[in-house]
Amino acid sequence: MRVFFIVAWVCLLVNMAQAQEKFTLNGYIRDAANGEELIGVTVYVKETQAGVISNAYGFYSLTLPKGTYHVSFTFIGMKTVERIIELNADKSMNIELQEEVLNLSEVVVTGEREDEHVVKIQMSKNELNLAQVKKLPALFGEPDIIKTIQMLPGVISAGEGTSSFFVRGGSADQNLILIDEAPVYDPSHLFGLFSVFNADVIKDSELYKGGIPAQFGGRLSSILEVRTKDGNNKKFGGEAGIGLLASSLMLEGPIKKDKSSFIVSARRSYVDMFLKLADQDNLVYFYDVNAKVNWRANNKNRFFLALYAGRDDFNFDGEFGFDWGNKTATFRWNHLYNDKLFSNTSLIASKFDYGLGSSTQSDGFQWDSDLTEYSFKQDQNYFFNPRLSLDFGYHLTYRQFNPGIIEPGEGSIFKSTALQKEYALDHAFYAGLEHQVSDKLTFQYGARLSIFQNIGEQMVYEYEDVNNNVQPVRTDSTYYGDFENIKTYINLEPRFSARYIVNESTSIKASYNRMVQNTHLISSGTVPLPFNTWAPSSTYLLPQKADQLAVGYFKNLNNNRYEFSVEAYYKDIQNVTDFADNARIFFNQDLATEFRQGASEAYGLELMLQKRKGDLSGFISYTWSKATRQVPGVNHGNEFFANHDRRNSLNVVATYDYNDKWTFGGNFTYGTGRPITLPAGSYEYGDGYLPDIITERNGYRLSDFHRMDLSATLTPRKNAGKKYETSWVFSLYNVYSRKNPFSVYTRVTMDDDGNITGDGTQKEARLIYLFPVLPSITYNITF
Amino acid sequence: MKSLKLYIGLFLFLVLTWSCEETIPIDSLQTESKVVIEALVTNHEGRSYVKLSRSRGFYETGATPRITNADVRVTTSLGETIVFVHNPTADPEKNGYYWPNANFTGEVGLSYTLNVTVNGEVYTATEELLPVTTIDSLKVKVDDEELEDPEVPGRIYSVLFYAKEPQDRVDHYLFKFYRNDSILLDWPTDIYFSDDEVLGETIDDVEIAGYYSEGDVVRVEMFSLTRKAFIFYSDLSNLLNNDGGMFSPPPANPRNNLSNGALGYFQVSAMDFEEMVVTPPGD
Repeated sequence: MRVFFIVAWVCLLVNMAQAQEKFTLNGYIRDAANGEELIGVTVYVKETQAGVISNAYGFYSLTLPKGTYHVSFTFIGMKTVERIIELNADKSMNIELQEEVLNLSEVVVTGEREDEHVVKIQMSKNELNLAQVKKLPALFGEPDIIKTIQMLPGVISAGEGTSSFFVRGGSADQNLILIDEAPVYDPSHLFGLFSVFNADVIKDSELYKGGIPAQFGGRLSSILEVRTKDGNNKKFGGEAGIGLLASSLMLEGPIKKDKSSFIVSARRSYVDMFLKLADQDNLVYFYDVNAKVNWRANNKNRFFLALYAGRDDFNFDGEFGFDWGNKTATFRWNHLYNDKLFSNTSLIASKFDYGLGSSTQSDGFQWDSDLTEYSFKQDQNYFFNPRLSLDFGYHLTYRQFNPGIIEPGEGSIFKSTALQKEYALDHAFYAGLEHQVSDKLTFQYGARLSIFQNIGEQMVYEYEDVNNNVQPVRTDSTYYGDFENIKTYINLEPRFSARYIVNESTSIKASYNRMVQNTHLISSGTVPLPFNTWAPSSTYLLPQKADQLAVGYFKNLNNNRYEFSVEAYYKDIQNVTDFADNARIFFNQDLATEFRQGASEAYGLELMLQKRKGDLSGFISYTWSKATRQVPGVNHGNEFFANHDRRNSLNVVATYDYNDKWTFGGNFTYGTGRPITLPAGSYEYGDGYLPDIITERNGYRLSDFHRMDLSATLTPRKNAGKKYETSWVFSLYNVYSRKNPFSVYTRVTMDDDGNITGDGTQKEARLIYLFPVLPSITYNITF
Repeated sequence: MKSLKLYIGLFLFLVLTWSCEETIPIDSLQTESKVVIEALVTNHEGRSYVKLSRSRGFYETGATPRITNADVRVTTSLGETIVFVHNPTADPEKNGYYWPNANFTGEVGLSYTLNVTVNGEVYTATEELLPVTTIDSLKVKVDDEELEDPEVPGRIYSVLFYAKEPQDRVDHYLFKFYRNDSILLDWPTDIYFSDDEVLGETIDDVEIAGYYSEGDVVRVEMFSLTRKAFIFYSDLSNLLNNDGGMFSPPPANPRNNLSNGALGYFQVSAMDFEEMVVTPPGD
């Protein structure tokens, strides 16, 4: 708190020092076509040569001395709006931007330089262009933002067919994935073939890899913010898509024109057929439902309610099955206290749960596990003047971890068993100041104070040796009642960014941030399973801490047609959570004995060339990176490559608007193979078993991964009188059908039925690869 | 816990339904050959043995090298020492096997220490012989799927297992199933073991491995395991069924009870068995 007050005081003083007759101009910036708020619009004042960017709610605020100003509102893909404003009183002005249509008959307004890439202070952040994602080739024709995120610089995937991503040497659980501010604990459908994000309802998404503002916390490596559309408040409309694997329907429209709107969207797969599971009793599907209502009471008060629910359900012969899913709810209230103070209050709930069950006679059971969280967030933006703004706030989160309950079926050999629940309270206070020191130099500095409490009700055991995971010996136990404090961890997370403009088209940026993570994923594979559980920091699990330094060079070329950047980062992680060799992480009453925490180091260089405008758009990214770990009790305490360490990664993403009818898209991805553990020999034991001898964790690598995908989108000319538009997306995944390695395992030589071939003394290594060339078609209707 | 493990294995299998596979060559790191000890002391006469061999390179084939000149002895917690001698009948099939030189049966409640000396290097392990739950009975059932479409003609019966799991003590079990004296595994890397953490008292109708024809002799053996032995078999099973570290943890050597870096395990178990000739149910 102290830091926050000091920062607030500094701001006030700075503000007062500059006291003269000043007025504030503010308002919301929206898309004229559907009333959606536009985020990241550059509001530029010609006279002062300074500007602001509209915030996450499309709100901007500028405080200027009395006078007349030329103010321009610039946003990629939109016509720039310029207004001459006589500022002699506080003024509220909402702006609507029209989509830029490059038609000869229309006058194209060219605005100020679109140089946000160079000018903004935020580095290490990538935004996804949703319109582009939808035109890119996609596996089974399902557009998926996570698959595009996996191609960004500094981001690595573990292989195709997974929804995990690894940012700057961090593991998959170090990413905070938010949908409308609510965390999503497992973003996968069908074990990662698709993500939970339905492209129809996504408005925008941003990935913060470094220079993370003080407003965000809780995970070490990245923040993925996905925001859904608010719904068209001008006219009723919708979109339907029919794909090979799933179909979706989205409806949106005004409840009261210009005042309130709704959007609902649903998607369901029919993988059932795709799996070709012969028996009719088998059921395999996933679904997503998104819904949002949004109400602008007046210019000072806005309300949103956003809901998401998604689930995967697998059932075989009615005998056994499993399911998992996320549910989130976000209620938000945007309030303008006065011309300069914008506030956002959110109430958030999120639940992830999974279940496994069998209904066979002797071993019937139902196993359920869940994680539930409730948050209250209070965020404020205070706009002192165009050169100084303050973000501050308070977040409170309550989490309940239920690692597992087993209930037996009738006549089952099992008995009812439950693992202990765990609870946590998490407070965070933050303040961050963005300060334009001179025309060339801007700083952003702040801090986040996280106060984490592991609380009751819980019985905490003491162990003779907490690292003895073979035969844990409990020596004592302490009972903690409801909300009783078990363990508190207080951490201050400083954040700092700087940007220096070298010239019109060039800037240099640097940042440092410390992140702290108090929720830990209990997973020891490379890619998390939906059946992994989470645990809070506790007596036996220390908070994970990461310090990251990044520097970057940002350059716009050819009159801002091309955006080029180079970034280098160094990340040092303390107490990275890992697990003992051979850890038993499923349904373990003494899970504390399996935790091993250690150090992790990651560094890398990222190059990115992006073209956002024009017929041909897309990006090329290249990353050189390295990530290692050294954890006592893992790999004999020797340093090893992190599971997601891949030295080189090159990605090309492009779309080309050939004409009004045809758009073409392409992806190319290349990456060094991920590290794997291979045997140094084998031996005989027991009933014909030939176990491997393991000498070194992750001592080998899979062979290189590369793949090209192509797509073509056909949008037949809209017939006069027809109220809808259709499009066909043809995709070709893995064009040259490369057998890309997914994993390698070993076995005794055998045929496909499991019959040993030879004399049973011979071993072989087996390469698993996923998709050959796969064509797909998706049909979309927009109305 | 076997069943739960089975289901977890199934998810992985499912993921892999999308996948294809092929055999590839790998550059296998060379490591010095290690001593492998497979030793068992039970409360059944004639069933205790020690097998000594060495590990070998990944791509080497044929039987692993056997150690035939070791000094092997087991000492009980009562101070009695039993010397194990190498292959007394000089059966070439039994190279590397050592048997007690006198009648020897383990006793519940005693501890046993194994001492193996190979070329001056000493390997030891100590385990306690824990009691084992008794098998109530076995029953034969017609398996509907096999009846419809038998994998091997006539093998249409499955065998059900019955027992009472004592709820007042901690148990760990290893099971072995035999059809006409041959060990039976549903899959070559299967190991049938369990702890009793989530087991209720009534263990009814549990299907054992394999399908049987009329007249087959089915034999079920249930061994008691120490906690350490259970962990060893659990680790061994994870290693044998590892997917290469994608969803499974990175493969690692099983934790064992042997000193001096030897591989394998010194298992000390009480054993109960049940044997029957398969006859159609209701006969």
